[in-house]
Amino acid sequence: MLHRLTGLALVLYLSLHLAVLSRLRAGPGAWDSFVHLVSTPLFLSLDVLLLGAVLLHGLNGLRLTLLGLGQGGGWQRKLFWMSLGIGLGLTCLVGSAMFLR
Amino acid sequence: MGARSSAGMASWILQAITGVLLIPLVGLHWVAQHFLAVGGLRDFAQVVDYLRTPPVFALETAFLVVVTTHALLGVRAVILDLGPSPRTLRLSDLALVLVGIGAVGYGLALTLALIR
Repeated sequence: MLHRLTGLALVLYLSLHLAVLSRLRAGPGAWDSFVHLVSTPLFLSLDVLLLGAVLLHGLNGLRLTLLGLGQGGGWQRKLFWMSLGIGLGLTCLVGSAMFLR
Repeated sequence: MGARSSAGMASWILQAITGVLLIPLVGLHWVAQHFLAVGGLRDFAQVVDYLRTPPVFALETAFLVVVTTHALLGVRAVILDLGPSPRTLRLSDLALVLVGIGAVGYGLALTLALIR
């Protein structure tokens, strides 16, 4: 369920991301004012949430791929919690670096 | 193995391969956008310069194709969970292929318009 939810959220984000990039067609003024807006702490926080969704989806996806290949069957519960822990840890670490930059 | 289940297996394998490919592609995209750009996110001139670099163009194009494929296969998996009829599945497959071609075509057209 978590994998489906993060996946659908990322599909929605990808659609919005592609739509937003169309502002590049409007020229430097439109793009640069948009960049100014999304460089604020609020949007940076949303970027960190996005990073969390990407990491959780990616790490959980690796676990599901292993399961699909018939590997680590007895370790699934541990692997799930490990992917969750690593995902959250990396989100905090990289997210902090994004804010401190 | 029936046609539907072999198609499902092919989708699963492609989903896994694109998923693994996304690890370096997303990583590089994230670092390039958030950590390499001078002063934070790129302004218009920096975006154009960035995309005009041939390895970057190749990397971002590969990222667009791989992420779109992975995303649409994921949507297909969710549709499969809903137990569609074979006809509905065929129609949704067609719609997803068209969306994929549209998304990649749009991204490439936008990039080429910027770097020319």
